[in-house]
Amino acid sequence: MDSTDRFGIGIRASRAILFLWRGIVMARKMLVDGELGQTIDEEKQYDFDLFVIGAGSGGVRASRTSAAFGAKVAICELPFHPISSEVIGGIGGTCVIRGCVPKKILVYGAQFRGEFEDCRNFGWELSDQIDFNWKKLLHNKTQEITRLNGIYKRLLSNAGVTMFEGEGKLIDAHLVEVTQSDGTTKQYSAKHILIATGSRAQRVNIPGKELAITSDEALSLDELPKRVVILGGGYIAVEFASIWRGLGAEVDLFYRKELPLRGFDDEMRAVVAKNLEGRGIRLHPGTNLSELRNGENGVRVLTDHGDEITADVVLFATGRLPNTKRLNLQAVGVEVDKTGAIKVDEYSRTTVPNIWAVGDVTNRMNLTPVALMEGTCFSKTVFGGQPTKPDYIDIPCAVFCIPPLSVVGLNEQQALEQAKSDILVYTSSFNPMKNTISGRQEKTVMKLVVDSETDKVLGASMCGPDAPEIMQGLAVALKCGATKAQFDGTVGIHPSAAEEFVTMRSITRRVAAGAKPKANI
Amino acid sequence: MAAAPSLRAPPLTLASTAAALRTFSRTLVLLPQKPLFTSSRALRSPPLPPFRSNLPARRLATRAGANGGNGSVDPRQFDFDLFTIGAGSGGVRASRFAATYGAKVAICELPFSTISSESAGGVGGTCVLRGCVPKKLLVYSSKYSHEFEESRGFGWTYEADPMHDWSTLIANKNAELQRLTGIYKNILQNSGVTLIEGRGKIVDPHTVDVDGKHYTARHILISVGGRPNLPDIPGIEHAIDSDAALDLPSKPEKIAIVGGGYIALEFAGIFTGLKSEVHVFIRQKKVLRGFDEEIRNFVSEQMSLRGIEFHTEETPQAILKSSDGLLSLRTNKGTVDGFSHIMFATGRRPNTKNLGLEDVGVELAKNGAILVDEYSQTSVDSIWAVGDATNRLNLTPVALMEGGAFAKTVFGKEPTVPDYRAVPSAVFSQPPIGQVGLTEEQAIQEYGDVDIYTANFRPLKATLSGLPDRVFMKLIVCANTNKVLGVHLCGEDSPEIIQGIAIAVKAGLTKADFDSTVGIHPTSAEELVTMRSPTRKIRKDPSSAMEKNVDEVRSAVDK
Repeated sequence: MDSTDRFGIGIRASRAILFLWRGIVMARKMLVDGELGQTIDEEKQYDFDLFVIGAGSGGVRASRTSAAFGAKVAICELPFHPISSEVIGGIGGTCVIRGCVPKKILVYGAQFRGEFEDCRNFGWELSDQIDFNWKKLLHNKTQEITRLNGIYKRLLSNAGVTMFEGEGKLIDAHLVEVTQSDGTTKQYSAKHILIATGSRAQRVNIPGKELAITSDEALSLDELPKRVVILGGGYIAVEFASIWRGLGAEVDLFYRKELPLRGFDDEMRAVVAKNLEGRGIRLHPGTNLSELRNGENGVRVLTDHGDEITADVVLFATGRLPNTKRLNLQAVGVEVDKTGAIKVDEYSRTTVPNIWAVGDVTNRMNLTPVALMEGTCFSKTVFGGQPTKPDYIDIPCAVFCIPPLSVVGLNEQQALEQAKSDILVYTSSFNPMKNTISGRQEKTVMKLVVDSETDKVLGASMCGPDAPEIMQGLAVALKCGATKAQFDGTVGIHPSAAEEFVTMRSITRRVAAGAKPKANI
Repeated sequence: MAAAPSLRAPPLTLASTAAALRTFSRTLVLLPQKPLFTSSRALRSPPLPPFRSNLPARRLATRAGANGGNGSVDPRQFDFDLFTIGAGSGGVRASRFAATYGAKVAICELPFSTISSESAGGVGGTCVLRGCVPKKLLVYSSKYSHEFEESRGFGWTYEADPMHDWSTLIANKNAELQRLTGIYKNILQNSGVTLIEGRGKIVDPHTVDVDGKHYTARHILISVGGRPNLPDIPGIEHAIDSDAALDLPSKPEKIAIVGGGYIALEFAGIFTGLKSEVHVFIRQKKVLRGFDEEIRNFVSEQMSLRGIEFHTEETPQAILKSSDGLLSLRTNKGTVDGFSHIMFATGRRPNTKNLGLEDVGVELAKNGAILVDEYSQTSVDSIWAVGDATNRLNLTPVALMEGGAFAKTVFGKEPTVPDYRAVPSAVFSQPPIGQVGLTEEQAIQEYGDVDIYTANFRPLKATLSGLPDRVFMKLIVCANTNKVLGVHLCGEDSPEIIQGIAIAVKAGLTKADFDSTVGIHPTSAEELVTMRSPTRKIRKDPSSAMEKNVDEVRSAVDK
């Protein structure tokens, strides 16, 4: 088996197209391998048809869908706790316990501050003293994720999936060992093994890094900090900046680039930066942290510009790494890349034919709905008799900063890189109706990138209230190749923000194919 | 053609008049489709464009000539190429677009007032001054009380309950309306349209009278909109309409809202949010006639939970004013006392009275709506009408579409028919509604075999707030073609969510297309692309529903 050819495909979002193109070449090979594997395995007896390590979004989805195809399925997961480690986790995974859900709950909580400001010109009189009780929010949040954890357990048991609590690791290609919290171990054999162990937040290696926290702890702090320093320019960094600012803290956000949110449309990055500043977050572009020290009244933060700030909390939002260290992968022959991500082919198969991996542990596109898609495709491929590849084209996503950013398809820079013909850019920057009364100085910005030759809408982005809810429908349209004419042919909903997407009549600029993208940085 | 032509009015040639009457009568023969247009609330959007392909090609040629009768260039001189009566959404759009095509355009509008009448209106029209905009501003204001409630579950506490000052809201709202009417005036001016303040009246097919002054025009466009319509019952003089409700001097303590349409529900939400006691009286069993049945049930449940009291199957008979100034509403079922205000949201009527229409031969429907063909041309060749005055689909974006299509047809040499398929719309009730395409009832009638996907869930925000808010979503799919025929939402953000979905529905996308789209997590909207198993399958022939088993297995897998 030529493993270089089959598995050397660490897919990142931006390379999805290349990935799919290669996928066509490999599809035939996959089917042959599948048949081959089956004939050998049929002779052996296993405890389970499928053993899944990790009960997050991808693992739970794959288990349930495989069970629905008639497979005998087991899944193992670490004991529940809001803050993850090598030995704790919880059914539901990052999304439910330490990611999307608790994050969005805190964003909701933080948004109220803006509403309190906005409501006054609408006639509301609030007492100057509006108190925020962090412990109550934390309690209610923990209650909700505990409830969701229970729901996920029920989903699994209703689907007939056997659950084991403990840390799973590979013994051989068909054997998993689960270490329970009391230290006892048990081994289970399985025809197929799926690794869905996700990822964990990483700290950068600077002196005093142990004084910093990651997003896990940030979602469960005992006390609400008054002064926060955040390192990182990704979506996690800007989301927490918005959360803490909304809940009343002084926030300083440090990142290496000129703008936050690398990988997103440059124009939209600038909009987000402006909005964060407008909401009172201090931005420090092009600045890194060099050292953290324990101070008398907080953590002393030293920057590479020679400045010093004191903070109650320092958050490192500096990326996440796949949870693959303690799985004993190498011994079994499962290859990982430099970052520790499991190498998989387009069907999520690892270098060992009966071992598969989905979700963040493969570091493809690290989003819950993508892990769900990968999990479902895995089940269809392995137990449903329908080899199915996840499709990474036109996947929408959202950044829940305040106000949020949401995008689907290509950004302007990507469109230009891939363009064969000129690119038409339509932008709209407007004062949302609510702000005409509230007086808030914050524009909503929308952007469409269109292929001048085919009229296809290649990408859409929006930064403003409700952007993620608005973008979902646009994603359906883009996914199916909608043209600008079809956008224009749709009647608006009045008065809404979203109607702007179907009433963008005049081109903001036309960019020649191969031209350097215009960046408003 | 009863109007005595003024000296400047061009005499109509017999041939063109005859042709006009002939084509128009042909249009009228097709009246079975007409009721869609003349129905009280046009949200029952027609699945197909009305009057489609009914006109003979000859007529089109005439229209494309755009210069008057019979395709030949009319040599007569007019003051304007286009005179528009009414500067609301449709009129302003048509005038601006016509001017961009090079036409010399004038538009007349009544003086500004927040309350409309025979002598007051204002540039911007209903949408900007007495409809969409002020309504939404009040909705924004009223929504805060719900947000304050929600915020408690998220840890926020108030020393004293937030109080609302009505006069601040109304003053800020009116300042914004003044700003907008100014913007509209600038837009007109910048596109070179002559704005004339005053009441326009048609004298003959090419002449408009504005407060005694006559203007001639090659084409006249009527875009005078509609106005609230109150029933003639004893004591009706004590009632207010939506114009007044948007500009009350003080907040109602206890208000009766008569009507079950979208305007009634929007105001019920507004006043409840601003802490008035609200009673809604509807003649039917349910609110929002014409909407999807499940949405009708869901929205009234949710509104009841927020404190609105619905009085169903009650027809108002009289309003009584007692000595303390409070009002009572007597219905067929009894009398409810103690109202500070009684509002009627019982429909709107086209503003077509005293326009001189009948005299020049412009035909009207019984309710006063101007009858037009698919190009918005009236029974008089040189007179056209768009927007609520024609009572087709009474929505601002539709008036814009009609105005744009009119300008293209007449001045852009590009005959263009407004497309009424899959027009999305929203009700800004609390919670709001967004919808596009067919209701379940319409879909069954038209396609017979349909699959219905529904979701009824508690949104993430409500799990923390502890409030009983829920979201309802519904997809209606054609069983044979897999096409998504209709989408109906009720819950937070529904109007914003439905817009993108409308592009997909308009483009004729299938359920498979929806399913292949990845969700945005965590949102409410992602539910629309993750509905795997049909809630029910409706089949003309019940035995064909037996295929269900196979799908159940599949959907169990997908869910």
